[in-house]
Amino acid sequence: MDSICTWGHMGGFWCNQPVRVALAVGGGAALVCAVVGLSTVMRRQAFAGHALADVSGAGGSASYLLGINPLFGFLGMAAAAAGVMEWAQVREARERDLLTGVVLGAGLGLAALLLYLDMTVRNVSGAAITVLFGSMFTIPPSIVPVALIVAAAALGASALIFRPLLVSTLSIDLARAQGARVRTIARIHAMALALAVSLAAMTVGAILSTALLIGPAAAALQVARRPASALALAVLIGLAATWGGIALAYQSYYWTPGRGWPVSFFIVMLIVCAYLLASAVARRRSGSSATAPLSGCQEH
Amino acid sequence: MWAGLAGYVALAAGCAPQANHGAPMAIGVESQYANVLWQVGAPYVTVRAIETNPNTNPHAFEASPAVAREIARASLIVENGLGYDAWIKPLVAAAPKPDRRVLVVRRLLALPADTVNPHLWYDPRTMPAVARAAAAAFAAMDPAHAAYFAANARRFDASLAPWRAQIAAFRKRYAGTAVAVTEPVADLLLQAAGCRIRTPMALQLALMNGTDPAPQDVAAEQALLRDRSVKVFVYNQQVTDALTTSLLQLARAEHIPVVGVYETMPQPGYDYQRWMLAETQALRAAVAHGLSTATLGR
Repeated sequence: MDSICTWGHMGGFWCNQPVRVALAVGGGAALVCAVVGLSTVMRRQAFAGHALADVSGAGGSASYLLGINPLFGFLGMAAAAAGVMEWAQVREARERDLLTGVVLGAGLGLAALLLYLDMTVRNVSGAAITVLFGSMFTIPPSIVPVALIVAAAALGASALIFRPLLVSTLSIDLARAQGARVRTIARIHAMALALAVSLAAMTVGAILSTALLIGPAAAALQVARRPASALALAVLIGLAATWGGIALAYQSYYWTPGRGWPVSFFIVMLIVCAYLLASAVARRRSGSSATAPLSGCQEH
Repeated sequence: MWAGLAGYVALAAGCAPQANHGAPMAIGVESQYANVLWQVGAPYVTVRAIETNPNTNPHAFEASPAVAREIARASLIVENGLGYDAWIKPLVAAAPKPDRRVLVVRRLLALPADTVNPHLWYDPRTMPAVARAAAAAFAAMDPAHAAYFAANARRFDASLAPWRAQIAAFRKRYAGTAVAVTEPVADLLLQAAGCRIRTPMALQLALMNGTDPAPQDVAAEQALLRDRSVKVFVYNQQVTDALTTSLLQLARAEHIPVVGVYETMPQPGYDYQRWMLAETQALRAAVAHGLSTATLGR
């Protein structure tokens, strides 16, 4: 395998340990986010997903104080917030947005305190950038197996509920008529969302994780006509943006005076490009065909 | 932070006449500068330090009313410059005092403003210059004791002789020793001792500023340790993050001796001279005998 190390510029890329760690953790995060993000967008829970990510930032900040693996910090807070938001099930959309906004604010406020304590009590440098905007090339290799297990758990949970979740997303009554336990499915989805968000926070940071969660799914839903093709396209966009972003960040070392630009910037920019491209394709197609896009699904 | 300073002031008071209340006040923004000011000016100058932990985010630094009061009273303020303590500027401007002198160590050493490594106190030439400038400033404030301040500055310079001898001996025997570092904290001392710092400067600055390091630089640093191309790994033991922790583990796994260096003067039990001597002895122990010194003892 190490024979590829001699392939000039990009040879160094494949054999660089921080790059390998980033490819593994980022790939896992992109895969899970594409899958979970699809149902999140279809259920119109993008804002809730963003709130979970911001709250998870408080957990990531706390991990430096507690001296634990940051992934567990992100995960712990995201799961707790998902639990609270599922438990305080609010029916009205307007009220749900308000609750989500309050939870988001509380999470970021707590993160502000914990990051301050990280710097002043624990003398951790760069915690704020790492937690909020991600530093993929500083992820310790020991996190890779843990991250892949979390990714597998999230994918397993999503696979388990994929069909009933899809049905209940399209019509709650139809799902009930088919004998699906709507509430249980929603809870499992919330937990899968917490797992996806914490993986995304680990890669592009708590604040930017929404881009990885929502972007590929939103782009795919603009052009795909069936759930299966939307899923495949979202996964493709997510992986291409993440791995492409890592490659661009690596290459930027050679365009800049040896500093390199942040990976998170490149990943998010690639996702935005994919979204714009998908919008253009969808707009051009809507001129000739009248197929309703999946993202227009009616709520409840 | 103030508790540590109080301990140091109390310790200092034990072996010197009590400061009189009318004495002019001098502030060393970092505790190492305050230490030198105290060695030159006490007991005729009251000395305070503000930052004993420079890793606190300058933007998060909140001046307490007590700090603002002391700045307002201070007749001499010694700051490092190079952005290391830029937060002091608005505080000083907010409390004008007609006869106040502000000594910027970067200017004193005539270093260009774009100097990348702000840890100037690790250069053996820095503190004697600070002591001389402080003696001159104190003499202007209190001409009656001018000879006393000048004698103290000379005594301070002479007291650095064991450290300079240690550096010269190291240089003679081990010049060209390859070392890896995290932040550029002790770079000026390492260079004075003739060491070759192999860590890319871009990585040192990324670690110092908490920005994203380039993966190429991280890999280069890992290779230095894994291939055992360096004789010692010098790291800032006051400040850590995920990357420095993993580099430290790698160095230990490869049996490369590590030396933890301090960004601010360890207290209590150290003055500037003893601190620098201890760091240099730790470097020698690592290179000559393969011994690690993670933290300095009392």
